Amino acid sequence: MKTRNRLALASLVASTALAVAFVVPLTTASAHGTMSDPASRVYTCKQEGPENPKSDACKAAVAAGGTQAFYDWNEVSLLDAGGRHRQIIPDGKLCSAGRDKYRGLDLQRADWPAKRVSAGPLTVTYHASAPHSNSNFEFYITRDGWSPTQPLRWSDLVHLQTFNNQNPTTFTNWTLNIPHRTGRHIIYSIWQRVVGSAEAFYTCSDVDFGGGTNPPPTTSNPTPPPTTTTTPPPPSGTWAAGTTYQIGNRVTYNGSSYECTLAHTAIAGWEPPNTPALWKRL
Amino acid sequence: MRIFLLLLAFAVSGCAPQPDTVLRGDPLDVMFLQMMLPHHEQGVSMVALAKDRASDEELRMLAAAIESTQVTEIATMKDWLTSWGEPLTAPPDSHAGHGGIRRTKPEEIARLRALRGAEFDRRLLNVLIAHQDDAVQMARWEAGSGAHEDVKDLAGRIEKSRGAQIDMMKRFLGRT
Repeated sequence: MKTRNRLALASLVASTALAVAFVVPLTTASAHGTMSDPASRVYTCKQEGPENPKSDACKAAVAAGGTQAFYDWNEVSLLDAGGRHRQIIPDGKLCSAGRDKYRGLDLQRADWPAKRVSAGPLTVTYHASAPHSNSNFEFYITRDGWSPTQPLRWSDLVHLQTFNNQNPTTFTNWTLNIPHRTGRHIIYSIWQRVVGSAEAFYTCSDVDFGGGTNPPPTTSNPTPPPTTTTTPPPPSGTWAAGTTYQIGNRVTYNGSSYECTLAHTAIAGWEPPNTPALWKRL
Repeated sequence: MRIFLLLLAFAVSGCAPQPDTVLRGDPLDVMFLQMMLPHHEQGVSMVALAKDRASDEELRMLAAAIESTQVTEIATMKDWLTSWGEPLTAPPDSHAGHGGIRRTKPEEIARLRALRGAEFDRRLLNVLIAHQDDAVQMARWEAGSGAHEDVKDLAGRIEKSRGAQIDMMKRFLGRT
């Protein structure tokens, strides 16, 4: 890792013990993965092929969110999770981990390819393309009465089992005790890394217990975001996000005046003092 | 001075003693910049394609502004690394243990390059949403756990601006 240079330097002045301690975290391997059995939604569509998926659900997921999510199938993750899953992932977005990149996975459909299961012991397999030692794996199943045409909320999940301090290999099996259910459900997993990163991985695997009323496939198009009308830029005025500025438009921001040098619609994070590429201070 | 800061960062964060500590502070700043540099450059090479290919006027305007702002950010990030005596690139995979960052593959650039008009618009929007969503992930970590205020401020602006870009792009997608 990059910090080796600095570590080498540091070791010249630091005690040997301290320097040795520095080196340890740098040898950690990377960790990525998802559930392969029952296959998670991202794994299913990746296996079908991102450019030409077979199932209607995967076709819809690609149409809704593009193909990139399925090339990056092993990274439905949040880098800074640190166990705060319920705080940082909103209800309805559990399958995408709340990430826009993976929004196709949240589609509320009753036709996601599902593994046929029944109550009792079920061996599940996690495919870690890059395994990592010392991780915690939590498994959940949706509550009785939940339907895949409803949003998946945290309160819909019933805890099955948690396996702490696991050292996953490329394919790791656990046996879960599955309760009685009818129709379609989701087995949800959280892989929380403990070593070297606060990153956590999230998976939604569709399963079918049979005997459910099979609701017709829904074509749940994501609600189109409201169209905002672009307000004509004021010739002068206070900088405002959402305004489209043309070259030569002038604004004030925090008491200073700026002139637009490249046409753009202003957004948070592109305030004039921070974006010399867009604004010239007068 | 840098050695002192490094030691201080380790001492303050308590990063040194256990191998199971999350990377933070000064080393995180360096890792963040080294990971964001190539990511930014890839973003620039994608949005640059919009000029001759995109059909949506607003998308072309957004792409040009992203290109211009990211080029400026690239210069800033290189300046910081250079002034600290750090290489601009890390050895391959050296950061993977801390989460790594996704790189858009050259094949994707080739696919984009071959498209025109509405088809190009849709593909670029989806790829760019994914690309900027990856940037948000990394920026959020740096903004929360980095050391240098300047770097953390940049990360905070990356998190906000990429989030706003994603919202705009989802709106554009809704009408393609």
